[in-house]
Amino acid sequence: MKGYLGEFEELVLLTIANLGKEAYGLALLRDINERAKRNLSIGAMHSTLTRLEEKGHITSYLGEPTHERGGRRKRFFELTANAITALNDMKSLRDELWANTKVSLSL
Amino acid sequence: MKTGKNPPQLFRNLLQWYARRADIEDLLGDIDEYFLYNLEDKSPIRAKLLYCRQVLSLIFSYALRKRKGDSYYSNFYSSNNLSMLQNYFKIAVRNFAKNKLFTSINIIGLALGMSICLLALSISVAIYQADEWHENKDRIVQINSSIRDSEENKLYASTFPALATHLESNYPFIEKTVRVKSGFAPVFEHKGNKIDLRGYFTDQSFLESFSFELIHGDASSALIEPYSIVLTQSAAAKLYRDENPVGKVLITKEGKFKVTGVLKDLKQTHLYFEVLTSMGTFDQLNTKLSTELDWINYRNNYLYLLLHPNTQKESLDKALEEAGLVANSFNPNKEIKLESIYLTGVVPRWNIGNALGIGWDQPGMLFFMSIGLLILLPAVFNYTNLSIARALKRAKEIGVRKVVGADKQQIKMQFIVETVLLSLLALIGSYILFIPLKEEFLTMVVAAAVLDTSIGLAQTLIFIGFAIVVGIIAGIFPAQFFARLNPVHTLKGDMKAGSVNISGIRKGLFIFQFFLSLVFIIGVGAILKQYKDVLNRNHGFESTNVLTVPFNGIDQQLVINELGNHPDVSRVSSASHLPGLPFSTLVSVIPNKVDTMDVGQVFIDDNFLINMEIDLIWDSGEGLANSNQNEELVYVNEQFLTSAAIFNSPSDSMLFTLVDGSNCRIAGVFKDINYEPVNRLIEPLIFRSSIEQTNYALLSIQSNDIKRTISELDLIWRGLDQNIRFEGAFLDDEIEKSYRFLAIQVKIFGFLSLMAITISCLGLLGMVSYTTENRTKEIAIRKIMGASVYQLHLLLTKEFVRMILIAAMIAIPFSYFFYDFVFLHLLVKYGTGVGALEIIVSILFLFLVGFLSIYWQTSKVTKANPAENLRYE
Repeated sequence: MKGYLGEFEELVLLTIANLGKEAYGLALLRDINERAKRNLSIGAMHSTLTRLEEKGHITSYLGEPTHERGGRRKRFFELTANAITALNDMKSLRDELWANTKVSLSL
Repeated sequence: MKTGKNPPQLFRNLLQWYARRADIEDLLGDIDEYFLYNLEDKSPIRAKLLYCRQVLSLIFSYALRKRKGDSYYSNFYSSNNLSMLQNYFKIAVRNFAKNKLFTSINIIGLALGMSICLLALSISVAIYQADEWHENKDRIVQINSSIRDSEENKLYASTFPALATHLESNYPFIEKTVRVKSGFAPVFEHKGNKIDLRGYFTDQSFLESFSFELIHGDASSALIEPYSIVLTQSAAAKLYRDENPVGKVLITKEGKFKVTGVLKDLKQTHLYFEVLTSMGTFDQLNTKLSTELDWINYRNNYLYLLLHPNTQKESLDKALEEAGLVANSFNPNKEIKLESIYLTGVVPRWNIGNALGIGWDQPGMLFFMSIGLLILLPAVFNYTNLSIARALKRAKEIGVRKVVGADKQQIKMQFIVETVLLSLLALIGSYILFIPLKEEFLTMVVAAAVLDTSIGLAQTLIFIGFAIVVGIIAGIFPAQFFARLNPVHTLKGDMKAGSVNISGIRKGLFIFQFFLSLVFIIGVGAILKQYKDVLNRNHGFESTNVLTVPFNGIDQQLVINELGNHPDVSRVSSASHLPGLPFSTLVSVIPNKVDTMDVGQVFIDDNFLINMEIDLIWDSGEGLANSNQNEELVYVNEQFLTSAAIFNSPSDSMLFTLVDGSNCRIAGVFKDINYEPVNRLIEPLIFRSSIEQTNYALLSIQSNDIKRTISELDLIWRGLDQNIRFEGAFLDDEIEKSYRFLAIQVKIFGFLSLMAITISCLGLLGMVSYTTENRTKEIAIRKIMGASVYQLHLLLTKEFVRMILIAAMIAIPFSYFFYDFVFLHLLVKYGTGVGALEIIVSILFLFLVGFLSIYWQTSKVTKANPAENLRYE
């Protein structure tokens, strides 16, 4: 597997999982911008998606032509088994670190 | 929807343009949706601004870059994949078959043009590969000297004789030193014949360092003893036929030489010799000069070093730097640097003085190559011209292809493939031409036989590569033209004959072709004239009906007496060198007891001046025979006096000293005659009287039956000596032979102009046939309306004739200046220049050929039945 999962990449993967069948570029962008209070551009979003696709974490397919986009199709993204493993690895690592903490992390 | 609610078109177009062929449908959808979403809670202006920002963020994003990258390699969008090339190939072949005239004109033209380039290429390749075959090529270096004095700074291939011992004794990384000294030119007296051979003085290490193969003899000792010589195979065959010459003794004036070995003939090397002798021979011949300690004379002394394996270049450089300082200490007014070059790099060099052997250089190769390109260029122009002229016929094909979806790159590719295919076909043709061309060239050029120009893999690859480059260059312009065509216009039939008429640039190309042909053909005329002139020229002495007979070692006086007795021989004299032929016997004279000057010297007998009808300007009346022990009487030419006057002799200007110490007095001055061929400058010359030193008898013959006279003279000769052949030859024949170089020039220029003319006429033929074909209908209508055949011819020919005339107007002054002021002066020092007659004849010839090719095509159209031509469309 290529490289480690970055923070933003993890965020994108989890958002794709959250959106399910409706995970396309703009929907992901809006969701992340709202939830994480970020101001991402479409370019940055798609660059990350492209990288994730290259790494084999997601696959994409084109949907049906839509009216509001001037007849253009949406590109939807799905998680691969790779991504699920990577997310789980990440989570267990975090859990382990949280559990072993010597300093109190509670707010 | 109001216009204010649309996303900014400019930025969307920018994104689409930037993305090129990449698939960005989803990205465009995303930003459009983003815009609509923003409109809901933001002002339109703000939404638009945000939209622009998003476009920019996409343009600089990795996502788009990646998609663009993919699009170049994607199978779906690929512009020229293999199956497409296959199709282009098919279309090209069909097109060739359809337009036979067009195809053959181009193939013949390109084949002619490329043949000279192939010759130049194969010779260049051979030169670059020279000396690659030596086993020790990576360890042998040649030492060069860069010498700067008050006048110039020049790099010489030669170096100081003393350097060899100096380097060998001080630097252990040198395994062997090979000294080579040029200028060994023995004349062997062999079986009554004199045989001249050329070669080098060199060390025994020569045979051990270089990989020359010894057929006979002992490689480990062949060049140790003084007076031992090693012959090349062909030199040995000249002397001994098939016998093994090892151990035989050859006699020269300098002494007796013993043959110690036979080398295989030279191939692919910059060294050029027929005979080698040991360095010891040189020391014996020149006892005064010490080669061990000579740090002064750098000319004609060469040094090669065989280094130990794995020697660092730096240590050699350092050694040479130190040795250079030593050399500087001996030559205080010169600045000397020593350099080394590996054996394989010795030829070709850009600029080097005093090169050993044949001295192939890069400027020469470049000149040769540019001559080839000069001939090729018109053929390439022809292709460009003709294929654009044919655009009309192919415009529909291009239109359909474009409508179906071909883009510019693909159309371009199609035409390039077609042209490359054509030039590869032409390559086959030019290869067929190249073979006899090469044979002819090798016989014409001295030492070219040493080159291995047989066709190997490297040559083949270079030839094919060359053909492909020529194809691409010839095809790029038409390809651009076709790719630019607008499919709507071509399909609607908007392309009229007028739109592809002969445009400015093509007119220029056309004129250039004819200009070139004219320059070449005038060159032929000019050189032919020189050739004729020098043969008929009065050299200043009598050359007709003079029979020359080499003495070949028989007593001179005896021959003169015996042959002079024949009734047909009116006068007899003798000379050491034949007048009118080149010679190089120079002697140094000291006109003012201090300075020396080199002059030519010829030994004559007392009757020479009178018999050869050489005019004396001033004569003391003493004659040369009255010389005594203290003072030798000589004749000199006017040039001698002019040259000697510079030295301001303080005493009697009639007196001078020869370098061997004999005192001379001028007894007469003769006119500046061309004692050497007229391509050489008239040099100072002295005539000395000594019948023993003369080599040729000159018999003035007055006979009604030359053959009978000669056979009778032959009989007399046999009475003198049975073993030596009588070798009588007429002086004017001998002189003619010395101008063979001009005959070769005529041949070369004739051939080049033949090529240039053929190519231009092929181009003319193509253009005329094309225009007449396009105007078939027009001509038919004109004919019906009552135009005469003459008028039609005039109509069709007018434009071409105008262009040929323009070409002639440029070419005439150009070639006049070029040949008169530059070329002929290099060739013939006392030539007569270009005459008007040659120019007129050349132009008439070109016009005739041009008109014939025009007429051939136009007559076809003008003679045709107009009714049929009209029905034809």
